[in-house]
Amino acid sequence: MKNYKNIILKVAFVLIAILFVQSCSDKFEDREGQLNADDLDYTDTEDMVQALVGSYHVMATRGWEEPILLSVRGDDVNAGGVGDAQDGLTDADLFIYNQGYWMFNQLWNAHYGDIVALNTQIELIQNFREFASEADQITADQYIAEIKVMRAWLHFNLARVWENVFIIESTQPDTEIMEGPASKNEMMQYIADQMDEAIPMLPNLRPNERTDVPGGVTRYTAYAIKAMAMMELEDYQAMADASAAIINSNRFSLYPDFYSLFKKPGELSDESLMEFQFSDYGSSTSDEFYHLYAPFGPSGWTPARENASPGWGFYEPSIKFIKFMLDREDFERLETSVLFSPRGVQEVAEDPAFANLPAFMDIQISDDRSYITTRDGDQINDYSRARFASGKHYLPSVQLTDQRNDYGGGKNMIVIRYAEILLMYAEALTRGASGSGMTADQAVNMVRSRAGLSPLSGVSSDDVMDEKFAELGMEWGIRYYDMVRLENYSELSYDGRTFTAERAYLPYPQEQVDALPTLTGSNGND
Amino acid sequence: MSFLLFQVVVWAQNNITISGTVTDDQGQPLPGASIVLEGTTTGTQTDFDGNYALDNVPGDGSLVFSYVGFISQTIPINNRATINLTMQEDTQSLDEVVVVGYGTQKKADLTGSIATVEAEQIEKTPSANPLQSLQGKVAGVQIVTTGAPGGSPNVRIRGLGTYDADDSAATKVLYVVDGMFYSNIDFLNPTDIKSMNVLKDASSSAIYGVRAANGVIIIETKSGGKNRKPTIEYNGYTGIQRAQNVLQMANAEQFVTMAVESGSSADVQFILNAMQRYGRSRVNPNVPNVNTDWYDEIIRDGLIQNHSLSVTGGTENVSYSLGTNYFSQQGLLDMNNEYERFNIRSKLDVDVTDNLKVGVNTVFSNATQQNAEDAAWFKAYFAVPILPVFDDLNTDATPTRYANAQAFGYRSTQNPFPDMVYNDDRLKIRKLLANIYLQTDLIKDKLTFKTTYNVDFSALEERYVNLPYNMGYGDQRISDINRKQNNYYNQIWDNVLTYTDTYAEDHNVTVMAGTSFRDEASNRFEATGRDIAGINYETSWFLDFADPLSFNNNVEEDNGRIYGQSYFGRVSYNFKNRYLLYGTFRADRSSKFTQEQWGYFPSVGAGWVISQEPFMENVGFFDFLKLRAAWGRLGNDNVPASAGANTISNETVDLGDTPNTGITATSTYTDLTWEVVEELDFGFNMNILNNRLSLEADYYIRDTEDAIMPVYIPIADKTISRNSGVIRNSGVEVALNWSDEITSDFTYTVGANFTTVKNEAIQIEDEKGYIDSGSAEFRQRTLVGEPLYAFYGYETTGVYQNQAQIDADPVAQNAIANGQDIQPGYLIYNDANGDGTITDEDRMVLGSFLPKFTYGGNIGLNYKDFGFTMNFYGQSGNKILNRKRGEILFTNDTNMDADLAKNRWHGEGTSNTYPSSAGLRDGWNQRLSNFWVEDGDFFRIQNIQLAYTLRGDKLKGNAPDIKFTLTAERPLTLFSYNGFNPEVSDGVDRQTYPVPAIYTFGVNVKL
Repeated sequence: MKNYKNIILKVAFVLIAILFVQSCSDKFEDREGQLNADDLDYTDTEDMVQALVGSYHVMATRGWEEPILLSVRGDDVNAGGVGDAQDGLTDADLFIYNQGYWMFNQLWNAHYGDIVALNTQIELIQNFREFASEADQITADQYIAEIKVMRAWLHFNLARVWENVFIIESTQPDTEIMEGPASKNEMMQYIADQMDEAIPMLPNLRPNERTDVPGGVTRYTAYAIKAMAMMELEDYQAMADASAAIINSNRFSLYPDFYSLFKKPGELSDESLMEFQFSDYGSSTSDEFYHLYAPFGPSGWTPARENASPGWGFYEPSIKFIKFMLDREDFERLETSVLFSPRGVQEVAEDPAFANLPAFMDIQISDDRSYITTRDGDQINDYSRARFASGKHYLPSVQLTDQRNDYGGGKNMIVIRYAEILLMYAEALTRGASGSGMTADQAVNMVRSRAGLSPLSGVSSDDVMDEKFAELGMEWGIRYYDMVRLENYSELSYDGRTFTAERAYLPYPQEQVDALPTLTGSNGND
Repeated sequence: MSFLLFQVVVWAQNNITISGTVTDDQGQPLPGASIVLEGTTTGTQTDFDGNYALDNVPGDGSLVFSYVGFISQTIPINNRATINLTMQEDTQSLDEVVVVGYGTQKKADLTGSIATVEAEQIEKTPSANPLQSLQGKVAGVQIVTTGAPGGSPNVRIRGLGTYDADDSAATKVLYVVDGMFYSNIDFLNPTDIKSMNVLKDASSSAIYGVRAANGVIIIETKSGGKNRKPTIEYNGYTGIQRAQNVLQMANAEQFVTMAVESGSSADVQFILNAMQRYGRSRVNPNVPNVNTDWYDEIIRDGLIQNHSLSVTGGTENVSYSLGTNYFSQQGLLDMNNEYERFNIRSKLDVDVTDNLKVGVNTVFSNATQQNAEDAAWFKAYFAVPILPVFDDLNTDATPTRYANAQAFGYRSTQNPFPDMVYNDDRLKIRKLLANIYLQTDLIKDKLTFKTTYNVDFSALEERYVNLPYNMGYGDQRISDINRKQNNYYNQIWDNVLTYTDTYAEDHNVTVMAGTSFRDEASNRFEATGRDIAGINYETSWFLDFADPLSFNNNVEEDNGRIYGQSYFGRVSYNFKNRYLLYGTFRADRSSKFTQEQWGYFPSVGAGWVISQEPFMENVGFFDFLKLRAAWGRLGNDNVPASAGANTISNETVDLGDTPNTGITATSTYTDLTWEVVEELDFGFNMNILNNRLSLEADYYIRDTEDAIMPVYIPIADKTISRNSGVIRNSGVEVALNWSDEITSDFTYTVGANFTTVKNEAIQIEDEKGYIDSGSAEFRQRTLVGEPLYAFYGYETTGVYQNQAQIDADPVAQNAIANGQDIQPGYLIYNDANGDGTITDEDRMVLGSFLPKFTYGGNIGLNYKDFGFTMNFYGQSGNKILNRKRGEILFTNDTNMDADLAKNRWHGEGTSNTYPSSAGLRDGWNQRLSNFWVEDGDFFRIQNIQLAYTLRGDKLKGNAPDIKFTLTAERPLTLFSYNGFNPEVSDGVDRQTYPVPAIYTFGVNVKL
């Protein structure tokens, strides 16, 4: 009897053990520590703005190589560190393109990756929109329009660099990839159409007037990008019209101090149409949000504020640009655009035409060291990588937050500014477009007067292009893409380079050719 | 040949009484050994102290002594009244039992491939981690040593079956320690281990379906024994570790020569600056008066020691094994770099009633690991020899005036000392393993039920302190502390029913069925604080003293919890011990997968013991001969859990000089199911020459289907893991052992094994048809028909010796026309596709980091109380990317190794393999080619040990036996690779912790 009971107990235990295992199976569905996109509370429209803020994060997190590769081919700037590092970059500067070079692929990936990321953000906002009140739906539409403007800027860069590229509007772009790349003209028209769609939804404000998202996209940002797309299409009337919409809003003005426009005081000025914002919020320890400016900076300096880190010397304004500026006595803008090393100044001075140089190029000597002091007291020494560094990407060390040493730490990066719009407007007019509002002379002279130059009258297209060179040097390759558009290859064939039409666009990165069957053609690589 | 002597038993009248003691070869009494008068059933057993007495036996008879696991001996009585016997352990016994999943099996009955390594072999290797001792001992197992104190070696069983070159979780072998699953056994003291059983083929490991895909190693810890006197044992060693094969760097003179030849005026200027600062060398006035050997500066000898104390024994109903262990090891990097571990363990088995057994097993381990600062190894390679360690002229540098290479124009500080002195990385590892089991017979001696509950709790507490410093020239930092807390709590509950029976005498059947439930929880908490008040005192190294503002966005937590559920069973059958059949089945469910969560894993095996056939009875040649074949399917869920949905994360961005937090969402996500490994294994076991020679050989072919590979999603620029490939590993394993005695005092053993592995991708479902890894500059590519992660680049065919050769080479001319500068001293590339230009299309597979052939061997000699053993190990067919050299493409004004400096091309005829100094700095030569990818072959003397046992009975009184050992671990490694160490786990040598040679003196005392 006892044994019999014993066996029942044992068998019962065995069964319980097996059944317990079975009963745990509901635990297999959820994932602890993960927030699924579908689990967000989309009815809470107050949170919708977070998806917009996320988009600004996507846009501002640009790799150091992106602005550099976008602009290195212009005659305003050269790659620094020739024969020392980044062979592929110096080759690109010489219009020799290595299809496998990492920067090409990185620029492509960072741009397209962010386009898809922005499309994802649009989907998030659309989810909120479904549950939103009518008023909030309008806000949702505005947010989506803002993101479309950001996306347009990325598409714009891609088409300028690679000519024929994909238009991507979805998060799963298989179909768009199958359809193949759009021609550059198709892309520019697409961008203009997108901007036309966005403009009515966007706030009628200057970016720095926005209080919800200070410095965010407004309808004038969209007009600016439309004007740029029309410029690439050489539709000068449409370019003039879009520029005029900005000018005639009377909301924008040039920041009075050209030098400070690119320093802390000039951040989010009334001139700014699009600006990537970076900061450490004045704290020496809190989480910082920086762009890596070091590649733009001099790799040898004695900073006014001790311990401020030097740059890498990868980005060297050209002697051609410097001489061009000296020649026209465009000193304010030259001092703002270039950081001089003694070696560089000596090289300029070797040319008898430039024996007399302005004071900001004075070489000083102490303790066996020669240097040139910037307006803010930073001493630029000789360094091997380069002779000059970019002044527009330089933040004086005294403007760094205490205990923060990163080169240019917390400095904003201006993407589109009013001066460019004025000059685009002027160029369009000189190329036959009819203006509405100010004349080409007026637009050019506003820019000149801020730079301390005398007014011109009866400006020609060449005058405007010179003005653009002087005003916008080192910024985003504006000069390079202008010369490509105008087929002015002799300007790009400088310092021993020979530019030909087939060098205008980079070859598709090898990895992309491998991965994307519809990317054919040996773009720029023949 | 035959030793089967039939002794004629003569029944003599003068019967006598015999007594004596039976001991094992360690001198321990063997209770329960049986002593039988040969040819009769008359016999007895030894008592608790190993003593026996037998009355009324004939003085001219013989006694047969036997004991499970020992070689039986037949001893003629010869009218003696006392016969003491030392029994030898039987390492090749056919009755030997092997631990298989959820049970045991007789080794003779195995149909799969299982290798066992016993305690004695494990203990010879002075190491924190028991796995190190497997190196070279088991065919089919590759161990990649790590030199870092407290580090775990990387273990690969039969090649690489999962797409994962790092030793991250996915490729990890499953370790089953007394029933609990681990992927890391760094908490185990090697001397606590009784045996390690390597389940190599799928059929053997399929019972662990869920995680068995990369092989299983079952580890049993030592237990006590019933009716055994308590034995107190001290086991310890102490010794020194010394860096081996330290890479020789270019000295100041060689460095200056290279710099001048490079043609870089900047570099020449840096050297002039250094001369201005430190003066000129009196030997060579063109060289600065500094010649720093950076490796010499940063490397030290390290101490290693291990002390274990244990008690084992048992009473009639209880057996126990208790012990404690202390291990410490200094690192070779001259900083706070060491490892220290303290263990406590206990194992208790109790017969509560006749029919109810309960046991508890616990291991507690407390380790502290002071990690080396890897950047220091890295910098020591690159730092120029014209930079001293200290520089009094660097007055800005605080607290110590370390020299800074920026002083003479270099871009970085270079000096590795700040990394060593101003960083402190401490990891405290506390682990507790505990399990309890309960076992009962449902049907006496036939049906057993066992339930086991296992817990594994680990707490990893890491503190990374960056002390503030100033190196001058703008290189200054403020203090910060990074704290990480990783907690793991894993539990497994197993329920197993086992039925064993024999029908009609010849049909032996064992059936096992069970369930298992797993729950694995992990939590990570991490925070960083900056600007620590009182940073100069270690008592302030807590986040409390950080600037509270600095926690903004610097506090993170994440959590993971995975469940698993399994049903499994096994049937093994043998007929007359001649025909063997074996089958297992396991159904597993894992919550890691978002697609099919259930996986089903069967296996079958068959064996034919030919030597048991009647027709073999008269074939004396074979003592044992078995043919076997097995097939099995395994699942691998040891991959990161699938998200199964797009996920949200928080991001902070500056808007109007205010931090704003927004959200971003992913656009692609992982959605995975099981990787399935299918393996066929054919093998045989053979013992010949009176069991003196044993041979085991296997051929295997192992396919991983639905292999999870990172598939590149273009445009979205995401790489997502997908079940998208088939990987195959195939090869042969052979193990040969010979043991013999020359006299009863002099025995010896010789063993050898080798393994071949062919690793290849069979199928890749990706648009491109291949999977890239590594960076664009150091490309590794997985192509169909080629090994995983193959180095992918150009083939060099020589070096241009003169301008005429360049002028005559159309390929060079094409490159020059395209803007490329080519000079004598530049590499010549093979234009593989013959299109006249060197493009990406000319790249090819340059080799794999996986060795194609590995081999090991051992020699053992025992003469009286002396013992000598030697092990060796080697591998070949693998390649190493010398990435240290290759990084010249990132920064080319740094130092280089002496081999590169000496062998450079510097004029016609000087080299046809090495480029010139100027060439090294040109992109043409920097592209990945077989110049940067080197052979990783090596041969090593793994271990030499000399032992002497001082027998207690030779001393007065009741002295214990004391064994003294002298051990040299890895005293000699031969290789041609230009690096520290040819053991580079993933084949990319950026910086590798040197593997030291270890010399120890050990003592073992048993009371």
